[in-house]
Amino acid sequence: MADHQLTRRELLKRSGLLAGAGLVAPSALLEACGTTTTTSTTSTTPKRGGKVTWALEQDPTYLAPFGGIPTSNHWGNEFMYDSLLQWDKDLNVQNALAESYTTPDDRTYIFKLKQGIKFHNGKELTADDVKYSFDLMANPPLPGSTSYLGQFPAVASTDVVDKYTVKFTMKKPDASMIGFLAWGRYSGIAPVDMYKQLNPVTQGIGTGPMKLVEYVPNDHVTYTRFADFWGKPLPYFDDLVLKVLPDEQARVAALRSGAVDGATVSPDNARVLGKDKNLVVYKGLTAAFREIQFTVKAGEKKPWADRRVRQAISAAINRQDLIDKVYSGDGKYSGFIPPGYGKYPIAASDLVNRYFKFDLNKAKQLMSDAGFSSGFPLTMLSIAQPADMTQAAEVVKEHLQQIKIDVNIVPQMIGEFAKNNGNGSFDVDLTSRGMRGDPNGFVAEFVNNAKLWWPGYEMPPDIAALVAKGIATPQQDQRYPIYTQLQQTLMNELLEIPLVAVYKYQVVTSRLHNMYVAFTDFNTGLRQAWLG
Amino acid sequence: MHRYVARRLLQMVPTLFGMSLAIFLMVRLMPGDVIDVLTGGDVSITPAQREGIRRTLGLDKPLPVQYLQWVGGMAAGNPGLSLRSHEPVGAILARALPITVELVIIAVVFAVALGIPLGVISASRRESVGDYVARVGGLIGLSMPSFWLATLILLFTSIVFQWIPAVSFVPFLQDPLGNLSQVVIPGISVSVFVIAIVMRMTRATMLEVLSQDYVRTARAKGASRRSVTYHHALRNALIPVVTVVGFQVGTLMSGAAIVEVIFGLPGLGYTLIQAIFARDYPLVQTTTMLLATIFVILNLTVDLLYGVIDPRIRAR
Repeated sequence: MADHQLTRRELLKRSGLLAGAGLVAPSALLEACGTTTTTSTTSTTPKRGGKVTWALEQDPTYLAPFGGIPTSNHWGNEFMYDSLLQWDKDLNVQNALAESYTTPDDRTYIFKLKQGIKFHNGKELTADDVKYSFDLMANPPLPGSTSYLGQFPAVASTDVVDKYTVKFTMKKPDASMIGFLAWGRYSGIAPVDMYKQLNPVTQGIGTGPMKLVEYVPNDHVTYTRFADFWGKPLPYFDDLVLKVLPDEQARVAALRSGAVDGATVSPDNARVLGKDKNLVVYKGLTAAFREIQFTVKAGEKKPWADRRVRQAISAAINRQDLIDKVYSGDGKYSGFIPPGYGKYPIAASDLVNRYFKFDLNKAKQLMSDAGFSSGFPLTMLSIAQPADMTQAAEVVKEHLQQIKIDVNIVPQMIGEFAKNNGNGSFDVDLTSRGMRGDPNGFVAEFVNNAKLWWPGYEMPPDIAALVAKGIATPQQDQRYPIYTQLQQTLMNELLEIPLVAVYKYQVVTSRLHNMYVAFTDFNTGLRQAWLG
Repeated sequence: MHRYVARRLLQMVPTLFGMSLAIFLMVRLMPGDVIDVLTGGDVSITPAQREGIRRTLGLDKPLPVQYLQWVGGMAAGNPGLSLRSHEPVGAILARALPITVELVIIAVVFAVALGIPLGVISASRRESVGDYVARVGGLIGLSMPSFWLATLILLFTSIVFQWIPAVSFVPFLQDPLGNLSQVVIPGISVSVFVIAIVMRMTRATMLEVLSQDYVRTARAKGASRRSVTYHHALRNALIPVVTVVGFQVGTLMSGAAIVEVIFGLPGLGYTLIQAIFARDYPLVQTTTMLLATIFVILNLTVDLLYGVIDPRIRAR
């Protein structure tokens, strides 16, 4: 059956999407009721006022700012808290609560705060609040989790220099500090003793553009405009409601009826909704690229312990075919640092034409050179939901049949998958990465996880050296060549094989202007959006 | 009667104890470690951090101790904190329960108001056009999954009328009309299946009762058709119907979960589904226990209702 190519339709059928007509058919059937081509009514002058309702796919669970693990936690609180720095939509670092910062040496960061910034309770922001917040970031109280600390920079101490100046002393040179602050996911600033004054599960006080009115778990979060926001003229709208709607068809119906002003939807529904004249579709890359991971353990003598086999697998995977079949043609080749992550990714043309060029003859030759021309069986774990993970595994299985590798796909629920991934109990898996505050976050595992995932593999020493050099180099422009060289080395070793970066689709009503899909997977675009 | 009720209530104690044990163990047997779910599978956390989280959540204690703490907490009205949000489980359920109860009440009202009359008409006019229509309608109702119907209704109203029920839940006491506009359509979605069951059961039992000697006797004595149908036959035919309705109320309490998710109504089923995905042990256990307890109480209520409907049972 090596000649049989899966079509996109077959793939959907296999994964039950078409068979589950109850979910897809209604929207397709009702599509006939009348839609027209999308038109955007963009105006250039922002307007004040109005209420925006945005549908969330998951409940935030809690609004606590420190150590929140669920992505949805930050969906719930991102409009309430600010950090010292922030990213713009292209991940350029900008000052937020900080007026400026200096790095007098490679272990010290000194931040000057903007003066006159108010918290939602009217209190002025001072260095004491920054120290309080950083102390809690270093040791997040419940409901936060210490498990996020792998992303926390090596801050040894936080000291108040004066009312508006704070100094961070690092345990070691750590360039991830800037990205950690700009990302903002874990670095929101709260007023001193906030955790003593309220229940951080459902309440909060920050400096963000929106002030919390109420959070009803599993239902909604309601915000109102913070009139003293430091970033005026933002925000433009008066009220923001984040409604939890886990069912995608419910989000589609809510968008069509105008009950919500925006939501994240799948590519297929985005295509359908794009024909509605009252809706506008936005799409953007996120950091959640898909990749294959291997373990190489001493004594196991698995075929993929040979670098040539891994290179053969990469060469046999037709990434464009994967994009076409699973992601409707919308996707990009990804390196170890995903496209869209500032200036760090390898150029797309190099990925397509050089590093990840589909070359079946080369793949077969590499398999032959490694002594596996007759192939071998392989068990690949995948994540059961979202469905595209297992669909991607099916396409990869089909590609690898061309070099006689027989892939047995084992879809697992995320908890089980994460456990196996975490303790290295897998041979091969197909997984999705996530956003990181610093490029080091995409490559650190080649040092940190080496003993767990690749104890039987002789890792080239320059990998560890480059990882160490990258994190110890605070000047961003000097880091680009380091991570380029590191990625080139990793693309020769291929202990992990990056596949594709996928798009996220957000559909908004035509009255919501100036929105964008944030690379960070959060809804940062809403901060600057306005209602027409 | 009082002794009967007391005996049945006493019988609930071992039943609930057995259920609590089974629920506790089954939840612990779910694949996947709660720590992995809570940490998002972060590979960078150390074994010491994992153990620290486990200790913080009280999951390091022996299972019997965890079980006793949970059961003791429930008895004292404090079944613990959610592992994910650290909100009291009691508060979460107090928020979710009224939503599901309201949904179920609406579904049952529809089911009884439509299912019983349709069943009676269908049985008393057997083989008529009305009978055929009701029977085919019943079959369709039984065949349509409520989640599919709910999705269809939602998409239909959104496209044709550009309207769907308001997305943020409003409690009945806060805004009765707003609340009803939110829950009536979900209520209808879950009630269609129950209407079909009630109609079919009413028809079947009515047919059986209408062929009984005492009904023939009543007719022979000159009782009107209406009196025979509603006074003599229906009352006796209702006993199995009440059983079915009682059973369906229990089933709907958890079975409305998918419809709750589709309409964004944060009821018990919705809460349970989210808790299962998150391996939120205290929340899953307590929600399941609550649903099971409601089921047992409903069974008891149905048994007691038999006596009201049929005095002969009460006399025994």
